[in-house]
Amino acid sequence: MPKLIIDHREIEVPPGTKVIAAAERLGIMIPRFCYHPGLGSFGACRMCAVKFLEGPVKGVEMSCMTEAQDGMVFSTTDPEAVEFRRYVIEWLMLNHPHDCPVCDEGGHCLLQEETISGGHGLRRYEGKKRTFHDQDLGVFIQHEMNRCIHCWRCRNFYQGFAGYRDYGAMQIGNRTYFGKYQEGPLESPFSGNLVDLCPTGVLTDKVARFKGRRWDFERGPSLCLHCSLGCNITSGARYREVLRQEGRFHEKVNGYFICDRGRFGFRYESHPQRPRRAKVDGREVSLPEAVQAAAARLGRISREAGPDAVACWGSSRSSLETQAELRRLSRGQGWRAPLFFNDASQDRKVRNAVSRLDVRLAVSLREIEEADFILAVGADPVNEAPMLALALRQAQRRGAQVAVLDPRPVFLPLEFQHLPVPPGSINRCLCILLKGALSSRAAQGLLEAGAAHFYDALKCSYDQDPGLQDRLLALGRSLQPSQRAVIVCGTEIVRDSTPDLAADFVLLLNTAGIRTGLFYLLPGSNAFGAALLSGTAEDAPPLHPLIEAMERGEVKALILVENDPFWHFPDKDRLKRALDRLELVVALDYLPSPVMARAQVVLPTTTLFEGQGSAFVNQEGRLQWAPRLHHGGAPLAQVGGGSHPPRVFLDYVPGSEPRPGGEILRDLGAALTPDPGAPAVDWWTWLAQENPGFSNASALPAPPGGLRLLPEAGKPPVLSLEEVNRNADRVPEGHLELFLVDRTFGTEELASYSPHIQKAEQAPRLLLSAQDAAQLGLAPGEQVTLRLPGGPLTIEIEAAVNMASGVMFLPRHRQLAWQKLGGWPMLIAYNAIEKG
Amino acid sequence: MLPEELHAQLQKKIAAAHRPRELAIDVMYAVQKHYGFLSDEGLLEAADLLGMTSLELEELATFYDFLYRQPVGRFVIHVCDGVVCWMFHEGSVFDYLCQKLGVCAGQTTADGLFTVLPTACAGFCDHAPAMLVNGVPYGPLTPESIDQILQKLRSESCDLVVCR
Amino acid sequence: MNSNPELVLLRNQREDRPATLEEYRASGGYEALALAVREKAPRQICEMVKDSALRGRGGAAFPAGLKWLGVKEDAPHPRYVVCNTDEMEPGTFKDRILVDADPHQAIEGCILAGYAIQAQRGIIFIRPSYEQGAQLLERELEVARQAGFLGQNILGSGFSFDLTVHRSAGRYICGEATAQVNAIMGNRPHPMKGVHMAAQGLWGLPTLVNNVETLACVPHIVRNGPEWFRRLARTPTGGGTKLYAVSGKVNRPGVYELPIGTPLREIIEEHAGGMLSGGEFKACLPGGASTRYLPRQFYDLEMDYDTLKAVGHRLGTGAIIVYDNHTCFVGATLNLQEFFARESCGYCTPCREGLPYIRDLLWRLENGEGKEEYLPMLRQMAGHMAKSYCAFAPGAAEPVISLLTYFADEVREHISQKGCPFKGVDKPRPHLWYPPEE
Repeated sequence: MPKLIIDHREIEVPPGTKVIAAAERLGIMIPRFCYHPGLGSFGACRMCAVKFLEGPVKGVEMSCMTEAQDGMVFSTTDPEAVEFRRYVIEWLMLNHPHDCPVCDEGGHCLLQEETISGGHGLRRYEGKKRTFHDQDLGVFIQHEMNRCIHCWRCRNFYQGFAGYRDYGAMQIGNRTYFGKYQEGPLESPFSGNLVDLCPTGVLTDKVARFKGRRWDFERGPSLCLHCSLGCNITSGARYREVLRQEGRFHEKVNGYFICDRGRFGFRYESHPQRPRRAKVDGREVSLPEAVQAAAARLGRISREAGPDAVACWGSSRSSLETQAELRRLSRGQGWRAPLFFNDASQDRKVRNAVSRLDVRLAVSLREIEEADFILAVGADPVNEAPMLALALRQAQRRGAQVAVLDPRPVFLPLEFQHLPVPPGSINRCLCILLKGALSSRAAQGLLEAGAAHFYDALKCSYDQDPGLQDRLLALGRSLQPSQRAVIVCGTEIVRDSTPDLAADFVLLLNTAGIRTGLFYLLPGSNAFGAALLSGTAEDAPPLHPLIEAMERGEVKALILVENDPFWHFPDKDRLKRALDRLELVVALDYLPSPVMARAQVVLPTTTLFEGQGSAFVNQEGRLQWAPRLHHGGAPLAQVGGGSHPPRVFLDYVPGSEPRPGGEILRDLGAALTPDPGAPAVDWWTWLAQENPGFSNASALPAPPGGLRLLPEAGKPPVLSLEEVNRNADRVPEGHLELFLVDRTFGTEELASYSPHIQKAEQAPRLLLSAQDAAQLGLAPGEQVTLRLPGGPLTIEIEAAVNMASGVMFLPRHRQLAWQKLGGWPMLIAYNAIEKG
Repeated sequence: MLPEELHAQLQKKIAAAHRPRELAIDVMYAVQKHYGFLSDEGLLEAADLLGMTSLELEELATFYDFLYRQPVGRFVIHVCDGVVCWMFHEGSVFDYLCQKLGVCAGQTTADGLFTVLPTACAGFCDHAPAMLVNGVPYGPLTPESIDQILQKLRSESCDLVVCR
Repeated sequence: MNSNPELVLLRNQREDRPATLEEYRASGGYEALALAVREKAPRQICEMVKDSALRGRGGAAFPAGLKWLGVKEDAPHPRYVVCNTDEMEPGTFKDRILVDADPHQAIEGCILAGYAIQAQRGIIFIRPSYEQGAQLLERELEVARQAGFLGQNILGSGFSFDLTVHRSAGRYICGEATAQVNAIMGNRPHPMKGVHMAAQGLWGLPTLVNNVETLACVPHIVRNGPEWFRRLARTPTGGGTKLYAVSGKVNRPGVYELPIGTPLREIIEEHAGGMLSGGEFKACLPGGASTRYLPRQFYDLEMDYDTLKAVGHRLGTGAIIVYDNHTCFVGATLNLQEFFARESCGYCTPCREGLPYIRDLLWRLENGEGKEEYLPMLRQMAGHMAKSYCAFAPGAAEPVISLLTYFADEVREHISQKGCPFKGVDKPRPHLWYPPEE
């Protein structure tokens, strides 16, 4: 390891470390503009010059471009380097406007800081400043090009790191202009990172514009709940509302960056209609009163109709505390075991997936960047878990091969191989791929007996498309030399057995000596926690029977915890009817959802920003903690009627009644059973008893990087040969199979309550293959009406070339009344698709 | 729209190329030649042909000297302002050119015939002061030779080279 | 016309038209290629080039053989040769003359380079103002192909190599090797630092970028041997002849092929016809705009890389821009800075912002707004240009540095007289295109 001396202090760093990073380890922050640890070195700004005094490099050099070598001695304070840096600042300030008072970056502007620290205070240049016209870059990013100091970070991120191609540098010399060909929204769903990266006020957060200075905000660490990846975020609140979010570095999860859904999707927290008062039968009461009322009614129903008459339905977006308290409540009262998922298939897939991850197989998001071969199965990263797309891109930039086995017209900002096969054929395709991957080892007799037998018995024919079969075999063969492969498996559109097959596949590859990791995508920020709390697949009832039980009158009371069935249940009318049959609906939520309006008892909960601290488990089993950001209450902007400061002074904080869901449920339990008899065990001990997966979580507060709730060794392969070799299920002639899918914006529940996200949504369209569209006589862009069990649905179609035929995709979009399907996936007959 | 023939010809050329992007400049030249300048429409067509985005092409188009994103005259006069030609500015031959045409640098004559643009040393220092008209070099220039050249261009067509 | 008996590169130059393939062959053309592909190992060619003391003629003067040997024998394929005919260094026009005189010489040089590094493909990168040269090369490439010197299985040797012409749309920075590779790939032509072209150049594969004059020397080295080539020089460390492009205030501006190391006085007085009447030699830029002014005291200096280096100067491209005593050097330097500020690619700060700053100070000096404190500012800033990303800004600073070294008094005169002392004579018009700021 190279040892070097920086400003008289010695340090040893790993080989390949840049000098600027070595200095940072000593706490010496060498000034910089273009260098960013997440992006790398570019040598453009020349701000990080230091003087090398001894060793292999001599003289003033850029610390970002110089690799640390043994024997280097350098000074960051040498007069020559300091004078040069002063000039760099002077040059950068030649054209930079002095508009700091009205610039949103003011207060956390790198240029401000380094102008001061660089010693440039007096303007000597007598010429004019050059100016530019700004562009409208959409709802998220404000463009103020006059402030540009041409560090190139924005272009390096946008094109190089993220792989999008609609923003860049035009013109030449000091007229170089960063923008789009024509003004308009940025296409990248990672554009918000430009705000974090821009060292001055060229690209600022439009959503938070003029809302406050850095020092005005209550800033703190938080988590993103808008998909299952669990990206780390820094949130900033002022006057009782979250106003601005930034990416927060996590070595294992998101690195430095986050997606726009995560950054700008927070406004549900300050939604004007957010439930802030408890209600009983539509009347506002205090929260304790409402809890008492709920306890009384639930107790009565439980006593009179039996404990089975009370059902609990939680969600995968609730914190672990809330989920666990719901489980504990239902267990304590002997009610039906709570449900956390939206349908039986999802429930099965998630629980299977979670049960298969272990310490050996699981890889983190950042470990994907190190992989050399990645196969994504039934996953559409940009739409389902955007940051996964960025990780795939980094892997590909380092030379990895990326392939996607998915029926959708998947877009990724990178070069990859797309194999569009229908969900019913994915399993067979995986088998063919596996056959290809193991072929040479099998031929050399390198597989152990069990694996060899399995290999021999694997079916590898794909009658529909022999060409695809060859491509799959070839792809499998290219897996052979891999050192670090990863299988990414989605849980949305795949068949119930696919997550298990992916895990079996990974186990087999590892047995054969191809080191392979496993990475699932799950529905919801805490789907992993929910799965652990759901127990084994056997002991939870499937979901549709819950509706049936409601319809039959067996269930008389329903507790909905941070769950809006109207958002996800595929048959709105049936849901309404079933809810109407109930005697009691108790709903806990922080969203102004339709079900909150129907509930007899409304119990307002806090968001993770105001909770006492909330834990979430991401899709790789990482338990992460989001501490409280602010103390809650209705935003001043709402209670003040637009006037500030407030003219009326109160001795309480309006709208501060909501409490964390878990606490409310605990109170509800206490109200139902005032004297529980047995002493309450510590919450974490109780969790560990509930599921051994929680056993290493007792050491909370969790370490800063989170804690992985994974067993040392997971299950052996679970699928029988018969199951694996089952023939692809085919869509019957004259039908298309309809799936619900996600979009980056518009289908994720929380973000859909944010006005900015709403503006970034694309109108929902029905996706089908060009081949099927032609067969149906439909032209792209044409309107069709689907005759669905719940009524007709009219929607524009999009015909894609790069997707599987025999399937259709409908976004579960906020703007679309899709809840007429009855169920999904479902078959739609040709004659149920009408023009116009 | 590009004529079908040209479109097909470019398509064929791109298909034969090592990588399409290597032909970015050539395609833009061809489009520029067709439209008389690199119009927005032409740039979008070129981007489409090359499989590049409009921004990616604009990044190049605005970088270079001989791609014109604004309408220009039939004859683009690139007057060399390199240091050797500068030495021979005595007698103001370039002022003379501009006066004669009644335009400043960057402007096009009212009849749409001439656009005067500066250019970096064009590599005709042995003929200083020099200029390029649609890529064809002229020099050493004198007021008399400028008169003759303009006269000639007005009356007869000139060999158009690649960029025009 | 050239009167030197030892013409090598321009031996086939004619007044009326370029030399044909037949004429080139009659003078020994393509013999080197035949010899190489039949009798020499690729590595031997590299060694010969190394032994010849041939140095890069594009301005950087890097030993050509070392560059070629940098392409490892086990490096991946395909490999590329890029023939740099961009030549946008102000004052430089030798490549135009060279290509126009004898296109096949350049082509053979490219093919030999391709053979030496076992490349599959060559690209001749050419600037837009040389469109006539580009069309000539395209025509002659086809002639060479028909004659079996280019394309598949060259001269039955099994070696295949093809060449194409890549047209630039015109920017000075494209002459920089790494920027040129970016330009070919359809990227913005920014230079790339820390990229080892011999390993990861064009499309990430081994690439050799050489100036066309450098490559044109190779057939002669292979045919006559490195020793012969070295003996052509007039200096002990030099090798070959050099195309000196003489321009400015001389009677016969033009390209003169002379033994490298020919003294400046001899070049100007014997070959370029002496100074224009009424003028005296004041100084010259010895190798294009990005070299330092070489004043009168060096008039007898031998024009070679090492002789100039010994007195703190660079030969650059060997494009000698001659100034007489009527020329204002503040004005001349201002013109050069206009050029550099306009051509800067905008990637790094010193170049993008520092050069316009220097330009502004020079403009103020030239137009009577000069102040004494500008001198140390100019000196410091020009000095700091050495810390830029690529060699563009350090080159741009060279005239400024030498202006302050040799002509500081002239600069001060501008300050004390509140304007240019050369009024009336060679009235500078640096703002022909950019109206002065009000």
